[in-house]
Amino acid sequence: MQIQPILAALRRHKAGTILIALQIALTLAIVCNALFIINQRLSHLSEQSGVDEPNLFVIRNMWGEQYSTQQAVQHIEEDVAALRQVPGVQDVSAVNNYPFGPSTWDNFITMKPDQLSPTTDASFYTGDENFVRTLGLKLIAGRDFRADEIQDKGLRDSIVPAVAIISKAMADKLYPNGDALGKTFYAMTSSPITIVGIVDVLHRQDVSSWSASYLGESMITPIRIAMPWGLTYVVRAKPGQLEEAMHAAPKALFAENRMRMIDPKDGLLSFAEVRHRAFEKDRGMAILMGIICVVLLAITGAGIVGLTSFWVGQRRRQIGVRRALGATHRDILHYFMTENLLISLGGVAIGVLLTFGLNLWLVTRFTLNLLPVTYVLAGIVILLLLGQGAVLAPALRASRVPPIEATRPA
Amino acid sequence: MLKMTHLSKVYRTEVVETYALRDFNIDVKEGEFVAVTGPSGSGKTTFLTIAGLLETFTGGEYHLDNIEVSNLDDNARSKIRNEKIGFIFQAFNLIPDLNVFDNVEVPLRYRGMKAPERKERIMGALERVGLASRAKHYPAELSGGQQQRVAIARALAGSPRLLLADEPTGNLDTQMARGVLELLEEIHREGATIVMVTHDPELAARAQRNVHIIDGQVVDLAEDPRFHTAYTAAAGQVRG
Amino acid sequence: MFAYYSQLGLRSLRRNPMLTALMVMAIGFGVAASMITYSVFRAVSGDPIPEKSAQLFMPEIDSWGPQQNEHGEPPGALNYVDAMALLRAHQASRMTLIYQVMQTVLPHEANAVPSASTGYAVTADFFTMFNVTFQYGSGWSTADDDARAADVVITDAFNQRMFGGANSVGQKITLSGHDYRIVGVTRHWDPSPRFYDVWSEAGFDNPPDFYFLLNRALDLHTDNAGRNSCRGRITYNGWDQYLQSNCVWLMPWVELDTAAEVTRYHQFLEAYSADQQRAGRFAWAPNVRLPDVMKWLDVREVVPPESRISLVVALSFFVICLVNTIGLLLAKFMRRAGEIGVRRALGATRHEIYAQYLVEAAAVGLAGGVLGLLLTTAGMSGVGLLFEPEVARLAHLDLSLIGMTLMAAIFATVAAAFYPAWRAAQVQPAWQLKSN
Repeated sequence: MQIQPILAALRRHKAGTILIALQIALTLAIVCNALFIINQRLSHLSEQSGVDEPNLFVIRNMWGEQYSTQQAVQHIEEDVAALRQVPGVQDVSAVNNYPFGPSTWDNFITMKPDQLSPTTDASFYTGDENFVRTLGLKLIAGRDFRADEIQDKGLRDSIVPAVAIISKAMADKLYPNGDALGKTFYAMTSSPITIVGIVDVLHRQDVSSWSASYLGESMITPIRIAMPWGLTYVVRAKPGQLEEAMHAAPKALFAENRMRMIDPKDGLLSFAEVRHRAFEKDRGMAILMGIICVVLLAITGAGIVGLTSFWVGQRRRQIGVRRALGATHRDILHYFMTENLLISLGGVAIGVLLTFGLNLWLVTRFTLNLLPVTYVLAGIVILLLLGQGAVLAPALRASRVPPIEATRPA
Repeated sequence: MLKMTHLSKVYRTEVVETYALRDFNIDVKEGEFVAVTGPSGSGKTTFLTIAGLLETFTGGEYHLDNIEVSNLDDNARSKIRNEKIGFIFQAFNLIPDLNVFDNVEVPLRYRGMKAPERKERIMGALERVGLASRAKHYPAELSGGQQQRVAIARALAGSPRLLLADEPTGNLDTQMARGVLELLEEIHREGATIVMVTHDPELAARAQRNVHIIDGQVVDLAEDPRFHTAYTAAAGQVRG
Repeated sequence: MFAYYSQLGLRSLRRNPMLTALMVMAIGFGVAASMITYSVFRAVSGDPIPEKSAQLFMPEIDSWGPQQNEHGEPPGALNYVDAMALLRAHQASRMTLIYQVMQTVLPHEANAVPSASTGYAVTADFFTMFNVTFQYGSGWSTADDDARAADVVITDAFNQRMFGGANSVGQKITLSGHDYRIVGVTRHWDPSPRFYDVWSEAGFDNPPDFYFLLNRALDLHTDNAGRNSCRGRITYNGWDQYLQSNCVWLMPWVELDTAAEVTRYHQFLEAYSADQQRAGRFAWAPNVRLPDVMKWLDVREVVPPESRISLVVALSFFVICLVNTIGLLLAKFMRRAGEIGVRRALGATRHEIYAQYLVEAAAVGLAGGVLGLLLTTAGMSGVGLLFEPEVARLAHLDLSLIGMTLMAAIFATVAAAFYPAWRAAQVQPAWQLKSN
């Protein structure tokens, strides 16, 4: 198939050629970036929490009044004791927050007390000696907290833990040589905190984009924080008994003391729901971008079918002449397929520029990452295939134009 | 009515200049029925498209109904076409999407005529060509002769001063051609000026006056020796 | 002629149903995607208090210094010391300080269980500054602020929940174990985004239930339930030391009615910071800001990036749909070159041909708009699937959105038709004659 005559013919259909090429170019730019956004968002969805998700649920408990620290500590102990009695409950821990939680508590981390620019920023968990066990964290080095290490603190009390268990991600950030255990750091504290244990994975409390560079960096301190209005209980159910335990746990709490509130909307959540809620906007973005990609490709494909059909209709006589002069079905088919390939290649060439242009704009405007070349290559392949697929039907119709067409008036 | 003096039409391509018409002179009086004949490529059709203001010319003068048309803009030319000229094409050129009534209506629409007057004129024109009963039919449902009569009705509906016909019977069989020709003669008798381009010497003979074009110029048949050979060759081509 | 063109347009659209359907679908999907994302964008990017947004300002003072602030920007809230100093200085015609609180509320019935409520600790000017209107009663006075009165203003929704909507002014309500006297019930007032609290929250969370006196809340050590941000070493121990710490959590707002007042207040903030530097509290030169409402929303990047990206992508999608439509219209119009030639020969001017095809395009646009409207309506119910619930609940289909959908579809299609219609109008009247 010679390309020269096809190009010559396209020069006589400038507008249509440019429009198809432009459409392919724009489609490539949008599809590549949308696929990339989808992938980034989906990768959030699969972020590891490090906790035993299938068996966990959380109770966000509020008491009927604001308690002093002493009162709160007493109520926490009563609540935890009540929850432990619930059939199906394996473990309970009173915590300030949990991974993918509704709010976030994080502290700057420094290696020296007078260091001004922080080494990192860690998600700050407070928990008792049951924390690691209840959440099902995997302790990969060191030890768990001892009961005698746990301090009771009010929200505005001085919180200076002597020891902490940190996530591997944080340990690697502070001590890249892998010798973090037994070493110290400062978490906006005046005295050093000794690392007594390292857990494999513990996700931060937040899933915000600002903390992306601190992903997975978390620390647990042996503190029972006596929030004046109440705090959250993470409950681990015995395997397979999550539903029963979730059903019975709030009842047990109300039976123990009815002056409390567990919000009907988000007071009692299985960890599956916690995860679902945390990534709602990521999932939404992925769905929206997915819909737009699919509809866009469909419309671009349909547009190519429409314009090519028009060209075939317009050139029936010409095709008839070619057929009369000895062109085979295959020749005609190839003519239109090649024509589309040339236009598509032109469109894709412009599209690559547009794609990176749009990506750069998104990067500067929305802290999106730079688009990997593989996405562009994949986009190019998708669009070339789409073009060839779309042109197939009209090209087949063209190849079936009988030679007699040459003798009919235009 | 239609007067061209020293008119020329040049087609320029990158390499050559082709004179389609050169020093072309013709004067058609009000109420005349003129047949224009000539071999293929002689410039007949170019003459007709210029006469019908479908195309501009390169030099000379053209007065249509005492108006010098060379300086008119596209809008003014459209208006003259619409009001003064009726076209009858070889290929009828009916709009396939429109039924007979709507086809005849097209020029009246562009004249901005009110609906009742349009209707009266359309039905009048259709009655005249004997197709009033087919007003709701589409062109595809009519025979070639009927289609050409619709085209004539469309040309007549606007009561043009000048009818231009390009091989009006070229796509018709003999019997249908005769009917169409009789219709044209009748219209002429009622006072219309008709200029008809044709290959067919028989058809040309029915006109009041014959004008022959060869190589883009009007020639006197009797005096020009080129005529016989060229014309015979052309006629032979058509019949063959 | 418009009627004639419309009639011709509809006829032509019926003739190529596939091509027409394709164009209508492209326009419909394009406009629907744009409108759905726009409805969300509109909800999150609007001016929450248009009548006053240019007179309300958020004073910012850099109390952290260049080594600990946010890339040179002052923190978005004040610590207790600076906040109180500003309040006592009385340099603005009105000023309020705000922080978020969480309280339990105990209904009167003996065996009722408590329920949670959220609110703000504010000063008297809050209600007048922000144009809060009242269903019953009113806000409290500056004198009440000084007297540390146990007054509370509740919202209409909370009044509905607690008192069935009756006039509850004068009634007692117990919040987290303390009694308050209701002095006012607001009319529905839920600026979106909640501009005065965007430092602490995303700005689209559920509206508060009540507002009570800041002074009294501080007396009762009512803890801040919103954002709290500290720098350096945290050394405080207990409430009083916390108040003296560098933690920022109080959100100040001032009302400044003229440009001169704004300038004057800015100078005051500079002077205050300079005083602090001289007194040794700040070891850095004054670094203050005084953004108004819209500027503040911009600084806080209140519009979620998802909303912007979606809008950008949806609009690009619409553009592609239009490019697609240009191509299809071109094909459709040029397929009728013969008819155009005949019409031109019969006396149609270029303008008339142009107008005819633009009207035909407008008909496609209208059909696309109607489809777009159906898709938008369907899509609005799915917004909850695409955006966070707090944001999704704000998006709604109203008359203006319906109008915009139809208008956008028609205008865009007519714009797309300019080139194809121009090409159609360029068809020479002689064309058809020649080809024979």
